[in-house]
Amino acid sequence: MTDQADTNRTQELEELREAARPCFQCGICASSCPVFRVTPEMNPRVAVDSIIASGEISEDGTEWLCAYCLMCDQRCPMGVSLAEILLGIKNIAAKEGKAPTEFTQTLETLADDGCLSPISSRSEKKRVELGLPDLPRPDPVIIQKMLEATSAADVLKINKAALEEASE
Amino acid sequence: MTTSDPKESSSDPSEMEVVSTDPELRIGVFPCKCGKNIGAVVDVDELAEYSKTLPGVVFVQVNTYTCADPGQREIQEAITEHGLNRVVVVSCSPTMHEDTFRKTVREAGLNPYLCIMANVREHVSWVHQHDPAAATQKAKDLVAMSVAKAATLEAQPELDVPVTQAALVVGAGVAGMQAALDLADAGFKVNLVEKEPTIGGIMAILDKVFPQNDCSICILGPKMVDVAKHPNINLITLAEVETISGYVGNFAVRVKQRARYVDIDTCTSCGDCVEVCPVDVPSRTDQSLTWQKAIQIPFPQAVPSSYFIDPDACLGMDLIRCGKCIDRCEQKAIVPSDRDKYIDFEVGVIILATGFSPADPRKIPRLGWGRYPNVITTLEFERLINAAGPTEGSLVRPSDLVKPKSVAIAQCVGSRSKDTRMACSNFCCAESVKCALLVKEHYPDTEVTIYYQDLRMHGKYFEDQYLKAREEGVKFVRGRVGEIQQYPDTKNLRVSVEDTTHNKLLMIDYDLVILSMGAEGRSGNFPIPISCTEDSFYIESHPKLRPVDTSSAGVFICGGAESPKDIRDSVIQASAAAGRAAIILQKGRYPIEALSAKIMQDLCNRCGTCVSRCPYGAISQDGTGKFTVMGALCQACGTCAGDCPKDAIYMPNFTSQQIEAQIEIALREKPEDKIVAFACAFCSYRGSDLAGVSRMQYPTNARVIRAMCSGRYSPRFAQKAFELGAGAVLYSGCHLPADCHFQTGNHWMAKREPRIRGWMKRNNVSEDRFRIEWVSAGEGKKWQTIMSEMANVVEEHKTSLPAPKKATKKAKAKPKPKSKTMKAKPKSKTKPRPKSGTIKKSASKKKKASSKK
Repeated sequence: MTDQADTNRTQELEELREAARPCFQCGICASSCPVFRVTPEMNPRVAVDSIIASGEISEDGTEWLCAYCLMCDQRCPMGVSLAEILLGIKNIAAKEGKAPTEFTQTLETLADDGCLSPISSRSEKKRVELGLPDLPRPDPVIIQKMLEATSAADVLKINKAALEEASE
Repeated sequence: MTTSDPKESSSDPSEMEVVSTDPELRIGVFPCKCGKNIGAVVDVDELAEYSKTLPGVVFVQVNTYTCADPGQREIQEAITEHGLNRVVVVSCSPTMHEDTFRKTVREAGLNPYLCIMANVREHVSWVHQHDPAAATQKAKDLVAMSVAKAATLEAQPELDVPVTQAALVVGAGVAGMQAALDLADAGFKVNLVEKEPTIGGIMAILDKVFPQNDCSICILGPKMVDVAKHPNINLITLAEVETISGYVGNFAVRVKQRARYVDIDTCTSCGDCVEVCPVDVPSRTDQSLTWQKAIQIPFPQAVPSSYFIDPDACLGMDLIRCGKCIDRCEQKAIVPSDRDKYIDFEVGVIILATGFSPADPRKIPRLGWGRYPNVITTLEFERLINAAGPTEGSLVRPSDLVKPKSVAIAQCVGSRSKDTRMACSNFCCAESVKCALLVKEHYPDTEVTIYYQDLRMHGKYFEDQYLKAREEGVKFVRGRVGEIQQYPDTKNLRVSVEDTTHNKLLMIDYDLVILSMGAEGRSGNFPIPISCTEDSFYIESHPKLRPVDTSSAGVFICGGAESPKDIRDSVIQASAAAGRAAIILQKGRYPIEALSAKIMQDLCNRCGTCVSRCPYGAISQDGTGKFTVMGALCQACGTCAGDCPKDAIYMPNFTSQQIEAQIEIALREKPEDKIVAFACAFCSYRGSDLAGVSRMQYPTNARVIRAMCSGRYSPRFAQKAFELGAGAVLYSGCHLPADCHFQTGNHWMAKREPRIRGWMKRNNVSEDRFRIEWVSAGEGKKWQTIMSEMANVVEEHKTSLPAPKKATKKAKAKPKPKSKTMKAKPKSKTKPRPKSGTIKKSASKKKKASSKK
């Protein structure tokens, strides 16, 4: 990892830490979290706690389970935006090539096809039968441009490289 | 109200020595290190050396603690030895120690108004901890500003006023009752005003009171009777204070008493009327858990022991519409002709014991109160378990009136949350443990669990109670309740909560859930302005050393009006307030602020603007058309002076000359870097002090000028500052609409904004360099934010220089008259010099002359 990336990471972590500081560990977020209800590993309170306590993010990758429903944000009595913090953790992890394969595959599909769920020939036939107009065709070029502009393409590359390394 | 003017009558020269006529100015400067508080950041020795070079300074002495006894003695010795006639103490905020040092110099024979403070602790060392060099520079500027002001200070006569030996106590909860009883026992007349039909407050509807769990009404009842029977207490129920005028020792009070429709003296509380009354209304005492009639008594022990009629519910007190109670009452106690009435009286002191409101559970919809019948608040629980309550003391679920087998108690409801109130409610932990113990006492086999975040059992005997609860088998789980859901058929409740000690989600079913409610402030709508915190509790004069005084002399606070507290603390504070009030009452005379406005007749053009500005009606016109100020009524806010078109009003201690001298000194060097901040003594200056006390760091550009009230800030001050090239100007006052301590000063200041902005536009000063802000004494954080934002504005403005070039370019294009002032401005910006005041005056004169054309 380059020095620049390293300082960026430290700075991003520091920003997350600042955002997490008001948290007083009451547990309202955890008891409101629909994911925690079925997945005991994913506890938003503990994720935030490790940032405050050690300034580091946990390595187990549970943050990718967050459904971003914003229930914790809505109910946090201290106004801590937990979902945003978890998103920040995901961003940091993704830049290090730690994004789960499901996510990278989804992104690849999007980049290649311009949409996540391709139009099936069956639904096209049905539309003709019903006399409905054709669906607009997604343009992968536009999507790719967007991915380049938001540097998501770079993150995708890093993750693909990491995946290949792991498979070797 | 008193008609004689104490400030006028004191022209007797024997009362005081006039020192200000000394031909030679001999200023003594006393920089204080305040241990390390100032010394660790500001180079105090360098500051002392610098002070010696200031004009008029003949003596400088550094001290580690100037406010301590040796420090004060040294000031007194220096006054005698070196013949000092002005004293500048360079230490903390004047709100902290101005009184201390004024007393010190008085003992040495100097008029107290010739002593002034430079605030280098709250405004410098505590807020610029990481930049000692800039902090020292700022401290130097502040000292120079104070020395410049000191040079023109004048001795003021010290006066006292007679005190009416009676008190007004507002609110007759346990705190108000205690304060009234204490003062009445000390021999003073007390007017006790209560909004509700009975006295007793929240304590009267509680069942048991912690930590001993003794019966609430059994200990309160006898006290309520004492209040009713005390010969010195004039109890006025169903009443609210309408207006208050006057000043400490001499308040004129008008109380509006609502009609009761029942004669207190003849009503025997037999209850016959209730039997015939056809109207049912939800019972207020029983938290709407049951019904009562339109003619009602809050509870059997109510004082005064008399029924009253709720006029909103009653069908009509005549025989055509209803009038059944009139028919039935054998005592003929019902008075349909009763009307609202006003009661006027005079008092010397006021004690505010207006209490708090229980927090509103509807604000937290995730806990289901109001939708789920078996979710109840602590107050509802008190009524359910109270022998005088709707169930006669048997605790049942409201949905099916069955005994609950499992009870959960949720803590911190309505407190410690940004959605309700950020602070802890202080009593709700002990309240929950008490509720748990009461449930266990009634039903030992019922399971009770308390979900707490931090269990704060801090009071005397509280730990015993906590231990007892654990011994009784009450479960304590750390975690705040996330949400409550109801099973539609059984009306049982499922509580979702994280056990944070085990990182485990609990979803447990309960028969009954009690929400341990916090408190909401309801202060701030009193007819005289007393500063309030953001969550509507009154602010004390000093959080540690003057906890029951307010910033208004003669007005004291106690009980839940000051902050949420339990009964014991309320009673302690009430006795304290009564004691403080008795000091004023017992002496019979009280020293008052000697400052009052004076109209300089030779300058006055008799426009009469000042008359409309004065909130106290202190300015009047005599037969010859001359306007004069009545000193005793004048509270020295300076709003009249702020709007006087001829600058013909002289405000002692805050004269235009003094303020302009401070502006000039503040902008001597690098004016484009500086923020000239005006702060009013009651709110904004205290807010800035709070930023200091809380060590909130901000950039060092600000030079704060204190005035009594924002009403004093004349548009001329901002113009002057911008003419001298100030980077930015802030006018800060108490919050609109009603926080101003001088009633309307802030309104008048706000009205000047368009004039100032107009001037700025004409003179090419960018909009963002002037700000009007409202900062209360509780908003240190806001002060910090404003300072940081304005520092950015200053910085942006600086980098966007060369502004002067732009100004001249535009000026060329514009018509002639304005170009003169334009040219003057950039000059002062690049080359500030001490004499610039005179130059600017001529420039502004030219401008005035030209604008008349």
